[in-house]
Formats: sequence, C-alpha cells, structure tokens
Amino acid sequence: MKRGHSGQPERSGSVGAGQRLGVAGRLSAGVLAAFVVIALGASLGLWGADYHGFVADPYAPPGAGLWLGADALGRDLGARVLQGAQVSLAVGLGGALLTLATGGVLGALAGFRGGLVDRLLVALTDAVAAIPPLIALLGGALILGPGVASVIVIIGLSQWTGLFRSVRAEARRLAGADFVRAAEAMGATSLHQLRVHLLPHLAPLLLTSAVLYFVHAIKVEALLAFFGQSSQELPSWGGLLAECGSELARGIWWPVLGASLPLALLVLAAQVVADRLSDAS
Amino acid sequence: MDPGYPGSVGRSAPLGRVLSSIVTVVLVVVIVFGIVDALVDPAAVALGQGAAPGEVERLRAAWGLDRPWTTRLGELVVGLASFDLGVSRVQQAPVSSLIGQAFAPTLAYALPGMLLATSLGIGGGLAAARRVGGAVDRALTGVATALMSTSSLILVIVGHQLLAHRWGLFSLVGWPLVGAERGLWTLVGLALLPALLWALVQVGPDLRHYRSVFVRELGEPYLDGLRSRGIAEGRVLRHALRGASAPILARIAGRLPHLVVGSLVIDQVFNIPGVGGLAITALRTGDLALCEGLAVVLAIITIAGQLLLDLAAAAIDPRLRAGGRR
Repeated sequence: MKRGHSGQPERSGSVGAGQRLGVAGRLSAGVLAAFVVIALGASLGLWGADYHGFVADPYAPPGAGLWLGADALGRDLGARVLQGAQVSLAVGLGGALLTLATGGVLGALAGFRGGLVDRLLVALTDAVAAIPPLIALLGGALILGPGVASVIVIIGLSQWTGLFRSVRAEARRLAGADFVRAAEAMGATSLHQLRVHLLPHLAPLLLTSAVLYFVHAIKVEALLAFFGQSSQELPSWGGLLAECGSELARGIWWPVLGASLPLALLVLAAQVVADRLSDAS
Repeated sequence: MDPGYPGSVGRSAPLGRVLSSIVTVVLVVVIVFGIVDALVDPAAVALGQGAAPGEVERLRAAWGLDRPWTTRLGELVVGLASFDLGVSRVQQAPVSSLIGQAFAPTLAYALPGMLLATSLGIGGGLAAARRVGGAVDRALTGVATALMSTSSLILVIVGHQLLAHRWGLFSLVGWPLVGAERGLWTLVGLALLPALLWALVQVGPDLRHYRSVFVRELGEPYLDGLRSRGIAEGRVLRHALRGASAPILARIAGRLPHLVVGSLVIDQVFNIPGVGGLAITALRTGDLALCEGLAVVLAIITIAGQLLLDLAAAAIDPRLRAGGRR
C-alpha cells in the first residue's frame, strides 16, 4: 500500500504496519507466525511425526513421555494437535484466497461496470445469500466428498456474498470518483483502470477481509471436520473434538483442551489482527 | 398500509421489494435444482464413490433420471407450484413433511436463543457505545471478541458436557419433544440449555455489530439537539434506538438464514431432531433430494422473512419509505 487511503484527514503521513497494529496486534501477528512455524515443522516431520502410531493406553493422561496424553485409540495426542495446525492453516489460507478471488472479482466487476452486469450479479448474490450457509456447506460437502481441497472449494464458492457487497460498494464509489473519470476520458482501458486506480484503493478493504475470511474459513473447517468432512489423512482439531468431546464429562479434559485451545487462540489472534487493520484503514 | 405520501412515492418501494424477492426465489430454484442437477448425478452421490457403473445406471433408471431433462424440468415446476418438493428416496418420505417436522424442535431453542442474544447485543452495544474506549466498552468488546473467537463447537461441547452432564444443572433426557406428552415447563427446561448456548454463540458478533451501529448513531447531532432542550438521557437513548432501527432490523434479517437451520452442532450434541439434524442426516446418507429441498425451502422462508422485516423497517423509519433501501 504505497498510496495513502484518500479521504482520511486525521491520519497524516505514512504509518508503518507495526504502528498500525499496536501492541495487541503485533502480539497476535506473532502468535499467527508461531502457528505457521508449528504447521511447517509438522509437515516437514520436525515434530509430531509419530501421530498415527498406537503408543499408549486409550486416554492415557498427560505425563512423562506424552506431554498431552493419548486419544481414544492410544495415539500421541500432542503430535496430533501439532499436525492439526496444518489443516487449519491450509484451509484458512486457501479458503480466504478463493473467497477473495470470487467475491472480490465479482464485486469489483459489478461496482465498476454497473448497468446490466451489476443488476445480474446483485440478483445472483441475493439468491446465493438467501440459501442458508450451513445448508450450502453441507450440500457442497455431500457433492464434493470429504477432503481439504473440497472444504476450500466449498468455502470459496459459497461464502463470498458479504465480500461481494462491500467490494461492490467501494468500487461503485470509486467508479464515480473524479480521477477515475478523468482517466476514462483520457482513454484508459478497463484493465488499466482496475490495476492502477481500483486495486490500490481496494487494498485496505481486501486485506482486512482476507484476515476475516481466514478466521471464517478456520471456523468452517472445524465445523466440517466435526462432521467428518475435512481431511481424511491428517488429524484436524474439529475432528478431535468430534472423537473425544463426549468424554469431557468423565473428566478426560486433555483432548478437548488440546483441540480447543489452539483453535480458539488461532482464531482470536487473527481476529485481533483484522480488528486492528480495519481500525487503521 | 402507508399513510400516503404526496405523489405516492412511498407505494412503489415496497412493491419493487416484493418483485425483487420473487426474482430471488426463482434464482434460488434455478441455482439449486438447475445447476446442481446438471452438474451432479444424485444416483452416484447416493451410492458413494465405490459404486459399480452398472449399479449407478440401474438406480438412475429406477429414479427416472434417464428421461429427457425437459420432462424432468416440467415435473419440477409443476411440483414446486403445488409445494411438492419431491420424495427423499433415501428416507422414503416426502421432503416437505420431513422439513415440516423438523421446524418445531429447531425453533424451540433457536428462537428464544436469538431473542436473548439480540437483546443482550443491543443492550451491550448501546452501553459500550456510550463511552467509546471507556472501561465498560473495553470489557464488553473484549468479552465479545473472546466469545466470537471461540468456535461454536467448543462452546456447545464444553457447555453440554460440563453444565448438563458433569454438574447436572440442566435436564438432558427428553428429546424428541414433538409428539411427547409433556408439560410446558418440561419443554422450557429441555430447551433452556440449547437456547442459552445458542445465545452465547451469537452474542459476541452481535454485540460488536450493534456497538458500531450505536457509535455511529450516538454521534448524530439530533441527539445533542434533544439534550440541549433538557430531555432526560434515557429518552434521548430511546430516540437513538429508533434512529438505529433500520440497521438493527437489517442485522436480524441477516440472521434469519441461521435461525431457520438452527445449529448443526447443537442438534448433533443434544440429539435434537431439528432442521440441522435433518441436514446432517442428508449428508450422511447421500440424500441429495433432501438437501436441495432444504436449501430451497429455507431460502424461501428466509427471503419472505427478510421482506417482512424490510417492510417493518419502512414502517418504523419514514426515511426508508421514499427512497427504498438506505
């Protein structure tokens, strides 16, 4: 974002990303980075490599050897929790990018073009938004079958309507702006307009939305994993909650804690970053 | 129903809104039945990925899917016009009656839960917005952000396991409610914990949303005008509440798709035979017809509800009558 966001008189001069995030935001960004390191290390086999071996008694409590105890089948719970970070981050990133691609492109197109294209796309969005999101998610899972890739596609193709509306509104505002109309009068092509005039001004909105959709995608993944629709090979936090959640009343707290603490922490960190970004922009 | 504006500008906005709702319904039907049926073979979905090719063909013939698409489209339109959504081939029952039965259990907990969360959200949002950055604001926003970041899975599982199972604060047995001869208080007792958990899931994002609505509304100069005339703060806030009625109703309208499905997790964990539970059954049994029926029926109910809320917003806020949507 080299260009400052126009029409913001109270914020003068260029402010660095760190300053915009503030203390809580920088702390949260650090937490996000730690999750990325955990996921990368787990995928490279640096830690948590033995997540499918039966190494202990079922529901062995945390203690020597197994720092987070064992799950229902006696597998190393700590290793499974570390591996679960991969699935959450992959779906979070993939889902956010695909949502951004569908909602952002369609929204920019509708807002910038206007006319018939705009009317058709708005009608389409109204229809997609009217289908309850949970039903769309389950229907998508039914059609595409379980797996990380299908979860990403389902999220990207069904959850874009909110982004469409905000991008469309912003693009509409920009399409009427003087500098855009001046460029149009000078014969600028649509692609040039999009790249030079629209994208830099949409960037703050898109960045904040990307983080929000990252949060949303992680929550949706946990939900779909709870119903057995996410990754079939790697462990996932939602799947862990489905396996072991009903044991909490018997006093077996470690699987629930192991799955919910990282899930809540990851979502909270991303949410705080998104809040700071939207406050700043 | 409008008091009648000079030039009757006000009449055309609701009419346009009704028409656009009808267009949306038609588009939903096209998207769900048209595109899904064109892209997906229900027989293959029902049999799963390991099905033999001959078996799929046999099932397609048995279900009449091998007939030309024009015939099937005609059947579909006739069926929809008479509120017939077809038969769930997996459950051997009409889709409409399956969905109809599922509504009562869902609304039994989702409606009170949503009312509770909405009132808490509005009250909390107003309290937080009165002094932005103050102690109340920071505390409420912090709690709301924490609740919002806790996946509904965690809230529902932990709440169900600890509050009901371990500590026995709430009754657990008794679902299904429908058809059981029970007193009203038993029903209230059974729906209480699901409703509270629903409210807990919803109140975080709602409070933050209403806070931002009221931050904007409380900055309006008309409130200072009221205060300068010596009107008590409580009455000034009532004016702010009415001024913010349009975004509040829009938020409730946005919540309707969630309300009609209920919560998948609550249905699953509490074993409630609601709409969410029905959708999960459809997923587990590969029941595409039921899934399509759910999508269309729930979308139509959502659109109708949103239309009513839009008209209500226009009735409350005269600014919305003349110009259509704000």
